[in-house]
Amino acid sequence: MDSKWFKIRKNLLNNIVWILLILAIIVVGGLEKSFFTTTVMGNVLSQATVLGILSFAQAFAIMLGLIDLSLLGVMSFSATTGLLLIERGCPTPIAILMIFAVGALLGAMNGVLIAKLKAVALVETLAVKLTLLGAFLAITQGRAITSVPDSYKWFGQGNIAGIPTLPIALVIVFVVVYILWNKTPYGRSLYAVGGNEHAAYVSGIKVDRIKIIAFTISGLLAGIAGFFLSAYMGAVTSTFGTSYDMNNIAATVIGGVACSGGKGNVLGVLGGVLLLTVIQVGLQILGVASYYVQMINGLIIFIAVLLDAFRLKSEQVR
Amino acid sequence: MGEIVLKVENINKRFGATQALKDVSFAVEKGTIHSLLGRNGAGKSTVVNIIAGIYRQNDGTVTLEGKDVTPYSVFERQNMGIKLVPQHASIVPELTVGENIFVGIWPEKKGFVDWKTLYKMAEAELKKYGLEVDPKEKVKNLNAVDQRKVNIVRAMHGGAKVIILDEPTTALSTKERAELFVFVNELKARGTSFIFISHYLQEVVELSDDVTVIRDGCSFTGMDEDGLHEEKLANLIAGEEVELIRRQRAEDDNQRNLLVEVDCISGSILKDVSVNLYKGEITGVVGFPGSGAREFLRTLFGLEKVRSGKVIVKDSGVMLAKSPWNAIKNGISYVSNDRHKEGIVGLMTIEENISLPLLYSMLKGRFGFVDKNKSKGISRDYFDLFHIKANTIYDKLSSLSGGNQQKVVVAKAVSSSPKLLMLDEPTIGIDIKSREEIIENVIKIVEEKQTSVLYLTNDFDELVRAVDRILFFNEGKLVKDVRNENLTHDDIISIRDSLADQPAII
Repeated sequence: MDSKWFKIRKNLLNNIVWILLILAIIVVGGLEKSFFTTTVMGNVLSQATVLGILSFAQAFAIMLGLIDLSLLGVMSFSATTGLLLIERGCPTPIAILMIFAVGALLGAMNGVLIAKLKAVALVETLAVKLTLLGAFLAITQGRAITSVPDSYKWFGQGNIAGIPTLPIALVIVFVVVYILWNKTPYGRSLYAVGGNEHAAYVSGIKVDRIKIIAFTISGLLAGIAGFFLSAYMGAVTSTFGTSYDMNNIAATVIGGVACSGGKGNVLGVLGGVLLLTVIQVGLQILGVASYYVQMINGLIIFIAVLLDAFRLKSEQVR
Repeated sequence: MGEIVLKVENINKRFGATQALKDVSFAVEKGTIHSLLGRNGAGKSTVVNIIAGIYRQNDGTVTLEGKDVTPYSVFERQNMGIKLVPQHASIVPELTVGENIFVGIWPEKKGFVDWKTLYKMAEAELKKYGLEVDPKEKVKNLNAVDQRKVNIVRAMHGGAKVIILDEPTTALSTKERAELFVFVNELKARGTSFIFISHYLQEVVELSDDVTVIRDGCSFTGMDEDGLHEEKLANLIAGEEVELIRRQRAEDDNQRNLLVEVDCISGSILKDVSVNLYKGEITGVVGFPGSGAREFLRTLFGLEKVRSGKVIVKDSGVMLAKSPWNAIKNGISYVSNDRHKEGIVGLMTIEENISLPLLYSMLKGRFGFVDKNKSKGISRDYFDLFHIKANTIYDKLSSLSGGNQQKVVVAKAVSSSPKLLMLDEPTIGIDIKSREEIIENVIKIVEEKQTSVLYLTNDFDELVRAVDRILFFNEGKLVKDVRNENLTHDDIISIRDSLADQPAII
């Protein structure tokens, strides 16, 4: 009896994101019928895309028991680089590739500093974030870059056979990360290093390499998120992406990735992303004054960290 | 019956679904030494942690001089006189003896630590308990036995009624052990009670006034009308008759096939170690902590830095592993003595753990994906071979018992079919049955695959049953290399202790 109850409680805690998501949909939809229209639903999926890609990026770091605070900085800086290149006459496809390259490179730098030099991830990525956001402001002088060609905007605003591009991008990124985590030696290594770094090392896993790759992918995904957001907005503004800054951590943790590392799955992260997006969109359509939104975001992160603590506890008392 | 100081009555403790302790009861009399015996994992440390207040029992009571201490915290219990002296980690090596004694209770003057008073008090304390060390000496400069004594003095300060000594003799030589016992006996004569934890029967019989055996979470009294008997205790601890595996000796020296040639390796601890290892031979490794025994294994596996020297593995060419990855690739495997830190990934399944060293070699399948069928197949083979007790290979390691976790760790090490398998305390902290199953399988693998094994353990009864040959390390040097010709536990101890100051033979 005892052990059954423990199992149920554990499963409940691990999958609570889906229950919360259904609850959120019922509450928001119940209060405002227009929530179920295709326009709003499409809006939810589009908003979920940028948050989703960023959360997958964050999940790589959190899986290792670390954190990547630099995502917003990487995202803004790489998107700005791309748009400035276009402004100066660089062909769009090359500019887009440059966005990805800058993101991946910045991520790789994080990875090398953290894995090889043993820099503390929290502080190192914070420093990178502040530097990049500073550079972003210095380069743009606070002005918005709006000279975005239509071919670029299409990636954020167009559609393929009637389906908006953004959700398609989210699904593609989801599938790729899912395969990487669940099918490849790299994925298993990631779980092993996150679960017990020393044991993984003694088992012949190149721990440093796993970490560097994780941060490189994290940076690349941040670049991709920056690309899609700038295409969606058709511009890079001074507040570019700030609303996703901390939410990606909340989504990842609510989705079941343990802050201590080694535990979680990609589907859960997607659930966390949808939950947070439904709440955000819900607050908008319910007309909650923006003054309250930040406080609600804070509370969500608070709930996420409490859930993580409860999960850890349920794991220890086996 | 003398006056009872501490009484443990019908303690039950559950961890989740596991019943760790069942109705454990015993009583400690004033001025006596009460030993707690039992295999690692039997529940001794759980009992001790409940007495000290670190864990909370599900039911039952702990009373100190007739007062129920259940509502009190660890800190409050310390002040009441229940002091726990753990195996390690209770002293701060970088601080002085005096500071260590008064850690947390520094005498203060105007908000600052009053050093003069501290050292005066420390000197008085040391003198009172007959310990001749300089209070201003850093603890790291003391020898092992004095460090333990400082620990006990610290416990005595502030009035100890019951001192719990958790395996205080680990890593002590015979002489140091005797010295520690004299010290403890003196304190006992002054009226302090001790709970003594050890798994060396001999010293328990020698030292104790009373014995309680913990087995499978239940308590049994070790005393009968005729007092303590080593044999009787041994049976009580084991609970069941387990057939002890004994290795049939390999053929004589001349027919051995060379596998590994270690040539003059030196590192932070090792000094010019040279030795040959042979196929199908199990070589024991013995030495105190810091003697180079463990470092020797870890160096071959690429976990310790090497200054000079080389290692030649037959068929792999010259190689000195730079990392475990490198070592495994060249046919060398290692089972760490620290299962939790360097052995298991608790959040992963049995299959995922066993397959870790094979991910980038044997298990690489189509599109670079993990070949799951192969991974399952290999895991199932070892699951059966080692008789791992779990529902399926998809059970998480954290849900297994220590013995079964260790079987997975050993299975993981042999899954890459190593030429040289290094086992560092492969049976530490596990039940007898699992231990024998692990030894049996290691011997089987050696016989079938002609694997060479380095076997480090401080359980010398186990060592002499398993190995063909024994290497003794001291101060970083390989000082003796003997065939195991019916050596006994005591032989090993006396060889080890006598070698303490001899020069290297090679």
